[in-house]
Amino acid sequence: MLAEVGLASLTIAFVLAVYAALASTLGARNHSDGAIVSGRNAALLTFPALLLAAAMLVIALLTEQYQISYVYEVTDPRTPALYRVTALWGSQRGSLLFWSLLMSLFTSAAIWLNWRGERRLMPYAIAAMMATLAFFLGLSLFIENPFERWWLLPAAPLGEQELSSALIPAGAVAPSESALRAGAQGLNPLLRHFGMVIHPPMLYLGFVGFTIPFAFALAALASGELSTGWIKATRTWSLIAWIFLSLGLILGGRWAYDVLGWGGYWGWDPVENAAFLPWLMGTAFIHSVMIQEKRGMLKLWNMLLVIATFSAVMFGTFATRSGVIESVHSFARSEVGFPMLGFWAAITLVALTLLLWRWRRGELQDEHQFANLLSRESLFVLNNVVFIALFIAIFWGSFGLPIISELFFGVEVTIGAEAFEFFVVPLFIAMYILMGLAPLSAWGATSLARLGMALRLPLVLTALSVIVLWASGTSLLVSLLGYGVVLFAGYVALYEIYRGAAARRRSLEESWLRAGLALFRRNQRRYGGYIVHLGVTVIGIGVIGSSVFQTEVQHTVARGEMIAVRDYALRYDDFIRAQAVDGRMMNIAPVTLFRDGASIATLRPRIDDYAQMPMTIAGAHSTLERDFYVLLIGGDHERATFRIYINPLVNLVWWGGILLIIGTVIATYPKALPARQSRKREGARQQSAQPLPPQEGKKSIVP
Amino acid sequence: MSDISWEKPKNLEKRKRSQRLKFLTAGVVILAAVLYLLISGTLQGARYFITVADLLPGDNYKGQTVRISGAVDGETIDYDSENAVIQFEIVNIPGEYDDLAAALHEALLDPTAPRLRVRVEDAAMPDLLQHEAQAILTGALGDDGIFHATELLLKCPSRFEESTGPEGLSKIPEHQ
Repeated sequence: MLAEVGLASLTIAFVLAVYAALASTLGARNHSDGAIVSGRNAALLTFPALLLAAAMLVIALLTEQYQISYVYEVTDPRTPALYRVTALWGSQRGSLLFWSLLMSLFTSAAIWLNWRGERRLMPYAIAAMMATLAFFLGLSLFIENPFERWWLLPAAPLGEQELSSALIPAGAVAPSESALRAGAQGLNPLLRHFGMVIHPPMLYLGFVGFTIPFAFALAALASGELSTGWIKATRTWSLIAWIFLSLGLILGGRWAYDVLGWGGYWGWDPVENAAFLPWLMGTAFIHSVMIQEKRGMLKLWNMLLVIATFSAVMFGTFATRSGVIESVHSFARSEVGFPMLGFWAAITLVALTLLLWRWRRGELQDEHQFANLLSRESLFVLNNVVFIALFIAIFWGSFGLPIISELFFGVEVTIGAEAFEFFVVPLFIAMYILMGLAPLSAWGATSLARLGMALRLPLVLTALSVIVLWASGTSLLVSLLGYGVVLFAGYVALYEIYRGAAARRRSLEESWLRAGLALFRRNQRRYGGYIVHLGVTVIGIGVIGSSVFQTEVQHTVARGEMIAVRDYALRYDDFIRAQAVDGRMMNIAPVTLFRDGASIATLRPRIDDYAQMPMTIAGAHSTLERDFYVLLIGGDHERATFRIYINPLVNLVWWGGILLIIGTVIATYPKALPARQSRKREGARQQSAQPLPPQEGKKSIVP
Repeated sequence: MSDISWEKPKNLEKRKRSQRLKFLTAGVVILAAVLYLLISGTLQGARYFITVADLLPGDNYKGQTVRISGAVDGETIDYDSENAVIQFEIVNIPGEYDDLAAALHEALLDPTAPRLRVRVEDAAMPDLLQHEAQAILTGALGDDGIFHATELLLKCPSRFEESTGPEGLSKIPEHQ
């Protein structure tokens, strides 16, 4: 029953999405309000339909309906309830359904918030969002159906008797409950981690979120409404998508650090990079969009960026899901690969063709010219150049070089982590320098002398910090330089907040607290942005500390013996074998950790054995200063081997991430909802001029 | 008057041209720097990604850092935890396949498939290093015929993988 209801709601959602895309496009083209409203309603209905479909799958997961092959693949009778729910996105088919559910949720929210304010854009925006949704639902229905069930065909030849199918094949019978329970596979142990529980949904929300700005950009290009309306409608959406994408990347890093047991959090793997690419393009966009708002410049460039961000999202989805890209994240080659590549190419082509058409008609002309190399807009453009260069370098290393070499030379050429570092380190240095310079320059024009004056205090603080670091034992020149550049960007952010608060204090005689709070309340985006910059600074310090100064050793010791590493010592105390509730066998080696001779913690590194698949779980003692991270490599009651990593400042990466998210939330937090504002305005207008508003279906949307 | 009206646009034009030149120079410098980074990084870091069968015949790749992929033979895995040295053998995986699990399984059943001994120093024993895992290694083939790897990545699709069908479901059919 669950499978039937799920399949029916999935099919209804697909039909609704196709109808909404067509009705909205035709309605906008023929100026038919009825068709537009009908398209909107169909789009709104996709969410309840998909919610029902997802609910059916979650209920099936919770109630152990193993005949549904997805449930069979991602859970087993020992799976705890939390992982039964999160198994919804534990594998390809469920996560495609989840992706579609989030897409329909975002579409509904965009319609609710922007329907009244952006009348001319909405039909085309709905069409773009629904076309994307219809594509993903098509994949779910026809290629990766989460409601397929196992069937037995007793009359079929041996070896072809088992079949997974969404519809009941002729002559099929259901397999026995006991055989299904016995064979169910369970969630991949690598995914049984807090980071993995929320990392995929965050990443999907980020990916799905960037569909909204793209849809509005496409709507602006299709409708010719190329004023800053589409930018205003999508500004918040871009930031929301950016928050989720950032959170997804940070949580992915945290998962890798905790679970993969190599003491690191970023490995330049193609699939990791595929998720980082839209983030880079999106970051460029949320910066350059400010220039269009303030100065009416970079109209063509912003369109290009928003198209490129969505294109990168689609490419990232293809890279993560198709299995075509050789990566530790990809397993089977899925049938969804080529349709996805086709959709990516088609939607990018349509968007670029529309953009070219509008540009040739002269509708994307800038209102100002760049006047000064040191003006804020020029520095923002430079910042964009750095992000695009990072994008190109990472894309080239992950996909461009392997694909081109394979195509033209018949042998695949790849590059390792060290080559990526060679590309990106200078570009990140440039990014931090620009992060420091841009906030201090003015719109329009800045003289070198003026910029120099503003830079004095941050530069002095940076120099002092570097001297303190050098005096306290950090002698490596490269790291001192790195810390200097990163700290400079952070000091500028702090200095700007201080300058703003001091100005308020002087003119309004407010207390520091009141002045600071008022500053953030009155100019959320600017000061929220500075908190983001501070977050990026803290992340930078963490990355330098943990990558340049990491210590890594491996030793085998007898029970009761110690391993000394820097100012730490670790004593191997015991070896315990125990079975967990979910059936896995745990080999635990409790150790006592000493620092400067004093006992500071008991750690329990362990190896969990999930029937043929071992999982090494690190024991960690975390402080803001450093992580002591120990892995049990193997052992018994007599001897054990441990691998120890000391990762200085690694926790700053996560704390910086939190700061970055807080900053973006401050920048995004709405003062008032746009739809409500517009309703209020409309209400006031109607009260004064039109006492009786016309019925919705008869309103003209084209002025 | 006429002098003034002619001078102003000229100066303005001159200033605009000089600004344009500045932007152009900055653009060219940035482009050159990015291109330099890309080209030199690629030349230094590029590694052929080849199969065991490509690596073994002749001396084409001997001593050269390459990336290879092969199926892990579980019986050959030997981990010296005292010295943190892993040794095992990998078997050639045929170039084209749709299902990695099946390709790995078949590669290990083929007695004629080219095999290569691998040595990884200073490494923790990875969880995924087991029979029928796919190993992706970066390193070089030494004169001793052993592949000395500096990086080891593993994929293990045999379990927890969507494409594997249920085994033995048909043993106890339950008739509707």
